[in-house]
Amino acid sequence: MSVELSNYIALSAVMFFIGVTGVVVRRNPLIVLMSIELMLNAANLALVAFSRAWVNTAGHVFVFLVVTVAAAEAAIGLAIVVAAFRRAKNVDVDEVSRLHG
Amino acid sequence: MIAFYALSIVLIASAIFTVTQRSPVYSVVGLLVNFITLATLFFTLNAEFLGVIQLVVYSGAILMLFVFVIALLSSGVGPFSEGPDRLPRILLPAILSVLAGFGFLAFGVLHAPLGTPPVAHSASVLGPVGSANVFGSVGDFGVALFTTQLLPFEVTAFILMVAVIGVVAIAGDAVPQATRGRHVRRKRSKDREPIVKAGR
Amino acid sequence: MSLVEFIWLLPLAGAVVLWAFGPQLQRASGAVGSATVLVSFVATLFAFGSATGPVPWHQVLLSWVPGFTFGLRLDPLSLLWTLIITGVGGLIHVYSIGYMWSDRAIARFFAYMNFFVFAMLTLVLSDNVVGLLVGWGLVGLASYFLIGFWFYKPSAVAAAKKAFVINVVGDVGIMFAVFALYAATGSIAFSDIFARTGSLEPGVLAAVCVALFIGAAAKSAQVPLHTWLPDAMEGPTPVSALIHAATMVTAGVYLVARFAPLYSLSPSVQELVGVIGALTMVTGAILGVAQWDIKRILAYSTMSQIGYMIMGVGVGAYQAGVMHFFTHAFFKAQLFLAAGLIIHALHDEQDVRKMGGLRERLPFAFWTMLIGTLAIIGFPGLSGFFSKDAVIYGVLEHGHPFLYVAGVLTAGLTAYYMFRMIFLTFFGAYRGESSVEEHASLPERLMQVPVAILVVPTIAAGYFSVSFGGPSAWTRFFGTLFQVSANVAGPVLPISELGSSLLVLVLVAAGIVVAYVRYGAPAAQATAPARLRTETERMPAALRHAFWFDDVIDAAIVHPAQALGIAITRFIDPHVIDAGVRDVVWVAGALGAIFRKLQTGLVRGYALTIVIAAAAFIAYFATLGAAK
Repeated sequence: MSVELSNYIALSAVMFFIGVTGVVVRRNPLIVLMSIELMLNAANLALVAFSRAWVNTAGHVFVFLVVTVAAAEAAIGLAIVVAAFRRAKNVDVDEVSRLHG
Repeated sequence: MIAFYALSIVLIASAIFTVTQRSPVYSVVGLLVNFITLATLFFTLNAEFLGVIQLVVYSGAILMLFVFVIALLSSGVGPFSEGPDRLPRILLPAILSVLAGFGFLAFGVLHAPLGTPPVAHSASVLGPVGSANVFGSVGDFGVALFTTQLLPFEVTAFILMVAVIGVVAIAGDAVPQATRGRHVRRKRSKDREPIVKAGR
Repeated sequence: MSLVEFIWLLPLAGAVVLWAFGPQLQRASGAVGSATVLVSFVATLFAFGSATGPVPWHQVLLSWVPGFTFGLRLDPLSLLWTLIITGVGGLIHVYSIGYMWSDRAIARFFAYMNFFVFAMLTLVLSDNVVGLLVGWGLVGLASYFLIGFWFYKPSAVAAAKKAFVINVVGDVGIMFAVFALYAATGSIAFSDIFARTGSLEPGVLAAVCVALFIGAAAKSAQVPLHTWLPDAMEGPTPVSALIHAATMVTAGVYLVARFAPLYSLSPSVQELVGVIGALTMVTGAILGVAQWDIKRILAYSTMSQIGYMIMGVGVGAYQAGVMHFFTHAFFKAQLFLAAGLIIHALHDEQDVRKMGGLRERLPFAFWTMLIGTLAIIGFPGLSGFFSKDAVIYGVLEHGHPFLYVAGVLTAGLTAYYMFRMIFLTFFGAYRGESSVEEHASLPERLMQVPVAILVVPTIAAGYFSVSFGGPSAWTRFFGTLFQVSANVAGPVLPISELGSSLLVLVLVAAGIVVAYVRYGAPAAQATAPARLRTETERMPAALRHAFWFDDVIDAAIVHPAQALGIAITRFIDPHVIDAGVRDVVWVAGALGAIFRKLQTGLVRGYALTIVIAAAAFIAYFATLGAAK
């Protein structure tokens, strides 16, 4: 491979941290969930890169697992968003702050 | 090599696009581009099966789920409205900490040895894409999934079942009304109290 | 249980029973209380032999740390005190049955009295300084209970507090001495301490003796810690007889006599003790001249006589001083009990200006009181004669001529004020308002019998010290206990013992004559009411205010202490202590308020926290990995 493994890791890291920024900064819950998907995909990329580097299918299986979890989590997360903001005036993550001190 | 750089630029650009757009529909589109690019990257890494899975599951199912929810939540024709910003100056600390994390990660990765590869679990060999039992092919993946990595497979099934139940429980509809009054009727979902009180 | 343990603990058992079953026993508590003490007395007689053997009788009760053993010790000194405490105490208990006959709290009285007997026995029977200190404190407590027995009288309560507080001053002195002795000799037992007196440096030894004497001065009402004794007459008369005449106030004498080996090695402290004793002796006599309350006259006379005793044991005349304690216990108890008879008959009248002419109406009281008075002034043949002359001459023998002169002069003063009391009380016309009643009922008989019994030792107790060829019974009794008190007077004494006695007699006679002229002569008695009124009005201020001791102590100590207490209550308590507590509460609240700001409920804030923490972790592990 002419592309070094570390390049893929760097790319994965950049994508991951873009997702992190999205989670922290955005207030629309849907965007937040999408940023979480971005983070999970960054992890998938890293896993696939390593799996290719060491020629080990176990990495692929793990990616499969991550995809499943991501799907499940996206489903449930969206269900929560739907339930929470069904008739709300503002669709805003800052509004669900009843656990404040 | 060029492919890698081109794809990585698209990847990062679409990621930034996803995160920064005001409208969630635009973000979904950006995410779609991101996923497709990622699938392409998988293909270049000999992970064909995973690339297909990425396209089918992620961009095909999950993103459609997002689109449906956007449709569901949009009350009428107006755009999403957001309340007052309670943490107005959070951008700078977020970016700083993210850059710090990235910086240290890079430092660590560059200065630390990446460790010895583990003992090969799969008897796969690299070969031309498409042939059976070649690394990354469906057969190879299936062999691994159903033999050496059986536990993740079972766990996957369990997770999916839990997810389905959870979704129905959280956002599902009420039980149909033909019960002749003997069972306790669950509240219709639209009569349930929202978690966020309207007008707060 | 050994005999001595029995003697010691029986009064305690009596006190506990009376405390517990007082309301049920009522008047029978008198019998119970007297029985315990009298049985202890009889038991003490049985212990006579073992105490006067060559080695003092000793029993270890509790052994804790080496050098810290508690036990009982019965040697001639403690035996003598035990006999007096239980014997005279028992008689006073019987007397009290009659005196407190109509008092509702009679059971409480006898419980306290028994407790006192137990405490005093603890003091004298201990074989170690700590036990002595415990007994010391307990008798102070018993005295507080008994002085303030009629607690609904504010004057009694104040007197009880005063007595206790002044005694605490003495307690501090004894505590210091206990600490110093234990530190120097490594043991608290008397036998060990006296064996190791060599290990005490002269300075420490003197300090210990002074500290012990501070305790003795407080308990035995020596100047300037004497102010509590006249006020202590607020208690019932039997209390005054037992505690403030015969036993508790003599604890100081016991202390000095017990520590004779230490005192004999510090002549300077001996000088101090002798001087203080003499000062007390003279002051008590002078103030006794100016009193109108019959019990106060007796109180000041007690103070004066104890001054004699302290002076005697202070200069080293131990046998003489202890002898005077012995005889004084009898005649002072008799005087107080007879005074109680008078007070009872006159329905609690105590002022001699309102008495007079009681010789015909209360003959029993008259004769017993006369015998007691003759004993106290040292009339030849009675007990006081032998003991007082022994003390006075002993002071001269040990080389203190000025103290000798003071003792002789005070004997004359004693005769004067005692006979003043006799003449005012029993002669002339009755000046009082209340009716004089003397019945032949059981309470009266119970009061008269002990007084009658006490006449015998009042007259005869002195003969123990007479030597009928060979050493006297008294000397043989003490054996080698006070061997350290050898006569130190080297040069020939200016006056012989006989001559000294005659000199004292001359002054005593002079005192009686002056008292007769002023109060007893028919001419004086005829004009008695007017004379007494002028005497009351013209009483010198110094005498009326008892040399202002009370006022000085009040101004110097009591008021500053009270001011300090008020200052603490008004300023320090609310502004410092309460403020401190409030500050702690405020800090807790402030911390809570700070941490509450983190609980915003906003998910984004929490997410940011997670990101920062994750960055930190990455940093840590990245640098750690790189370092490897």
